[in-house]
Amino acid sequence: MKQLLKKILLIDLIKGLLITLRTIFTQPVTIRYPKQKREIAPGFRGRHALVRDPETGKERCVACLRCARVCPSQCIYIGYKEDETSGRRVLTKYEIEAFRCVYCGYCVEVCPVNAIVLTEFYEYAAYDKEENYFTKEKLLQNWDEFLSLYKHQEYINKFWYLRGIERIRLPYEKRFPTPIRIKKEG
Amino acid sequence: MKGYVLEQIEPSKFVLQMGPHHPATHGVLKLFLELEGERVARCRPEVGYLHRGIEKLAETKTYPQVVPLTDRLDYIASMINNVGYCVAVERLLGIEPPPRAKFLRTMVCELSRISNHLLWLATHALDIGAMTVFLYCFREREQILWFLEEICGARLTFSYPRIGGVRIDVEEKTLEKIDRFIDGFFQKIDEYEGLLTENRIWIARTRGVGVINPEDAIAYGLTGPSLRGSGINYDVRKHFPYDAYSEVDFEVPVGKHGDTYDRYLCRVQEMRQSAKIVKQCIQKMPEGSILAENAIELDLPPSGKKKLHPEGWSTGAFISFLKEKEPLLPEGEIYSAVEGAKGELGFFIISDGSGRPYRVRIRVPSFIHISAIPKLAEGQFLADVVAIIGTLDIVMGEADK
Ligand code: SF4
Ligand code: SF4
Repeated sequence: MKQLLKKILLIDLIKGLLITLRTIFTQPVTIRYPKQKREIAPGFRGRHALVRDPETGKERCVACLRCARVCPSQCIYIGYKEDETSGRRVLTKYEIEAFRCVYCGYCVEVCPVNAIVLTEFYEYAAYDKEENYFTKEKLLQNWDEFLSLYKHQEYINKFWYLRGIERIRLPYEKRFPTPIRIKKEG
Repeated sequence: MKGYVLEQIEPSKFVLQMGPHHPATHGVLKLFLELEGERVARCRPEVGYLHRGIEKLAETKTYPQVVPLTDRLDYIASMINNVGYCVAVERLLGIEPPPRAKFLRTMVCELSRISNHLLWLATHALDIGAMTVFLYCFREREQILWFLEEICGARLTFSYPRIGGVRIDVEEKTLEKIDRFIDGFFQKIDEYEGLLTENRIWIARTRGVGVINPEDAIAYGLTGPSLRGSGINYDVRKHFPYDAYSEVDFEVPVGKHGDTYDRYLCRVQEMRQSAKIVKQCIQKMPEGSILAENAIELDLPPSGKKKLHPEGWSTGAFISFLKEKEPLLPEGEIYSAVEGAKGELGFFIISDGSGRPYRVRIRVPSFIHISAIPKLAEGQFLADVVAIIGTLDIVMGEADK
């Protein structure tokens, strides 16, 4: 009897409609994307960049090839020659094929000198395939572009120093995280 | 005058190819349907449109490099795939992750499971015709993805667990945010249930549709909520606990009738249980390390062994090293399963000591669930096929590998 009454009075449907009615009075959770942008969490794995050292103005990479070896999709190509006098490696080619990258961040993690980074920049869809084939110059330019949009004074990527892992297990340079200070013009 | 004789119409069969690009087939599943009127006489699923050869590809990668590959199996809850793979390799190599890592993994897995069930509920309801639930579910799913983004920097392809622990510690403020979200989440589940559970249209479309009895469900190899909907209490998390599941308290909801409606109830209850687990994990979260002492390095072979070789490390040197010297890692084989969002997700791995898996075989629930579609769909209406695909919760990335 009770069931029948419920059925006739459309209780089940009204219950649902009340919930939708209540939602009318709440704030919308959506944003209007190209105009409004949501905050990106620090450490988001977006477009690659080679860090431009604030002191020398050049890339930091020492051509140790660790990133190329650890990359699961084998999309980092590195070329280097050895300096005759000092015996140091000089980077001649550093290319990342972004279309093949799986954005795992392994390269950022293994780099002993914090040279490569996945920045929080994510809007780089292009009409031209060439644009997302990053050469060394393009990667450095990516870094400048990212910094120009970056709001804070210091930058440090969380995959550079891996919170929670004993310092002793990291390469020497990574044990004492030093953020990069950003000089803003104007 | 002779009477007209009506021509007898032969009940002929009508063949319909449903998919591979049909919004209700959840990816690129193709169904070959033979219809008699509106009833399905025969149904033959065709798979393989999304085959990427993940198992074969894994043979050419080192163990840590396979983790990002497993992201691409079930891309809706890829955290569970990562954890499943890492648990398998850990058991194979005898690595024991520290307690904090275990709790973190359990927490992110359950968050992933909630987000998977939300997406399942959203699309299942949308297929059947309930638009509002779709919007509500995505509202909450988005929040979970935000948390996961804060934890590991990606929204879908996490690669967060690491063989021997997790990659990066979670900040206290993120944990607090998750805790607050879970508190409000139970009420949100009540909202979805208020819209669907008693709704007469929903009941008419789901009750008695796609019934499978317990014996058949076992025979077809169904696992996860699809099996539990038939009343069989089997859950890898309870029966073969891994990570921190033995230390948290939760129940395994089971259905009775084995129809679409019971499977719906099971999954909704499971969301509640998952939320409970997340809450317990945050409460019990121990302090300490997040990576085991003997965890293998990302950059294989480990640095200690690299120095042994005089010529430095190229791939050629790597191979010759393996041929001559002792193996890098223990040899052996293992089958290890975790409770994926869709069912039992198992990894069978053979190690030949080279630092790369000799063979990886992945037991994916979706593929096995697809084999049950003909059993569920034959004799039903064409409109119910959509409900049946939805209720099995298949994702083609996983089925085709
Ligand atoms: S993010 Fe991963 S796939 Fe991409 S370049 Fe780095 S290591 Fe390679
Ligand atoms: S790991 Fe770092 S230093 Fe080594 S080659 Fe790659 S970017 Fe350069």
